[in-house]
Order: sequence, then structure tokens, then C-alpha cells
Amino acid sequence: MEKGGGPQAMLEGKTIVEISCFEVWRRISDFVDDDVEPGLKERLEFHFGRCKHCKALLDGTRNVITLIGDEHAFDIPRGASERITSALLRRIEEDGQDEHRE
Amino acid sequence: MTDEFQNGVAAGRSERRHGDGLVPSMIGALEPPPLPETGPRPAAQKVSPEELALIERIRAGERELFMELVRPYQKIVYSMAVSILKSEQDAEDVAQEALFKAFKNLAQFRGECKFSTWIIQITVNEARHRLRRANRAALGSIDAGIESDEGDYIPIDLADWREIPSEALQRKELRECLHRAIGTLKPIYRDVLVLRDVQHMSVAETAEMLKISEASVKTRLLRARLQVRDALAPGIDGSWNVGSTTYKRVRSF
Repeated sequence: MEKGGGPQAMLEGKTIVEISCFEVWRRISDFVDDDVEPGLKERLEFHFGRCKHCKALLDGTRNVITLIGDEHAFDIPRGASERITSALLRRIEEDGQDEHRE
Repeated sequence: MTDEFQNGVAAGRSERRHGDGLVPSMIGALEPPPLPETGPRPAAQKVSPEELALIERIRAGERELFMELVRPYQKIVYSMAVSILKSEQDAEDVAQEALFKAFKNLAQFRGECKFSTWIIQITVNEARHRLRRANRAALGSIDAGIESDEGDYIPIDLADWREIPSEALQRKELRECLHRAIGTLKPIYRDVLVLRDVQHMSVAETAEMLKISEASVKTRLLRARLQVRDALAPGIDGSWNVGSTTYKRVRSF
């Protein structure tokens, strides 16, 4: 596992405090959701630029989110929508008749 | 009347940065236009005026309009049910039951959360109820909070996974593997994953719905995403990509 070559590194004249792959794994989901503080985001981006393993994990996590969030991931099977609708309409109608009788 | 119908969920701002997967009515619900000052229900701030008007008409007796109200949410309800139950037939039954319960309890909807949030909550409760009745193996950890969120998840492998073109999801094998991968998750992780990444609810909304802290939502989401990734990751062969002539089974099943 890559450690980034030391506790600190320089990026465009700025000192970046490096973090371990282990710490990256803990925050990778928040990073994908853009829910990390700016300083940490910079360190994570720096790490992803140098660690192919964590970059692969990042890409895979994003792929999972893309797949799960795709509107076709949970399509209603053919005919199911019609069955649900017709059954619901029938129950609503029956419920109305029951209320009317009461 | 149970709390599930009476409680509105304090819906936070959506944290999603894209609208993918959101049905138009949900997109509209994220930033509803301001309600008139003298509305029938002043507390209603999360529901669009059109939806609110529809609800009022149904409450007033135009029952047949209910289908118009819930039609945009039918797919959301179904996907929620199938992700919990892992059975299309059961999901169909639960979707129908959840929608009927929503109809019967529409008077209890106070508009303090989005209508979609309310109807998803009913669906989750109904699906869990069915699981309990069926006494399935998954029952053990279904109640949030039983299992500790502590402990780090170590990815199984870190092999590269090429970008997936959206067309890849047209492949039935991938969809089925995705469903199975989600189905292998423990319920406490699966529920968070489905609410956040399928239903595109915010961290705050998810926490409120599951009655857990936002920190727990994030922790569980991390684990869920990484576990699904491990289940699906085909390695460097890129077999999910459209154009591949061979299908390589993923390693977890």
C-alpha cells in the first residue's frame, strides 16, 4: 500500500499533510458526497493522485453509486404496475362502498 | 393511528448534486415554490401547491384522484420494497398495501415532510412488517441500532474497475447482480444505502426516517457502498462494459 512517501509533501508550493490509505477508506464515501472539510478534501485529492489502489476504490465506489442510483436499476417488471394500480383502485372502491354502507 | 402516519419527517435540504433517478415530481419537491399565505394547512412547506391541492381534494371525497397523486411514486415504492424483500412478488404485494395504507391515512399527512418521504416511510414499515411475519433469516438485525457501527471495513481487493457506461445497466445480469449484492447486505446497511443512493434522500432525511444519527448514516453508508463494490467489482477485466462478449460472475455469489 502506498503511503505517499512521507508525512508531508509539496503541491504547488503548499505543504500537504499526507494521510494513510486506511484513513482514506474511512472518508471515501464522504468524499464522493462532497461532504469533507476543505483541508481534508485537498489531502484526499492529493492521495488519490498518487495512490492507484485508493483511486481504484474511489472509481469503484462512484460506479456503485451510479449503478444503484440509475433510474433503470429497479424497474418495475412488466405488468406489475398495472396490477398494483388495478388492485389499488379496486380496494379504494370497495373501501368507499364500505364507508357508504356505514 | 400509529406514529408512522402521524409523524412528518423533518426533511433537510437535498444533498444530491444531480437529479439522476429523481422523478420529475420529486425534483419539483426539492425546492417547492412558496405556498400561499392562506393555505388550508399552514404547516405544509415541503409539498408542492399542486400536490397539496390534490391531497385536499382527495380528503374532500374525490377518492379517484388518489392514483394521480401516487402515480409518480409507484416506482419509488416498488424499488424500496424489492430492495428490502428481495422478491418481486412480495414487493408487488407490499407496494399495493403501502399505497392503500397511504390512502387510508391520508388525513394524517401533515405536510411536514415531502409526500415521497412519507410514502417511503410507510413502505419501509410495511416491508419490515412482512419480513417479520415471514420470520426470515434477515430478521435478526433488522432493527436499527442493534448492531454497532464501530469497526472499519477493509475492502476485499483494490483492483481497478473501469468506468461503467450507463448502457451497461441495460444488461439484465448486471441488474440482477446489483439486486443480489444489495440483498446480501445486513438490513441496517441496506436501508441506508437504499434511502441515500436509490431514493436520493439526504443524510438528514435518512437519519430522521431510520431514527439514527447522521453520523451513523454516514458510517453505514460507507460500509454499504464498499461492500456492494466488493461484491460487484469484476476486477480489471472490465466485464461490465458494454461490448464485452463474455460475462464474468462476480466473486461473492
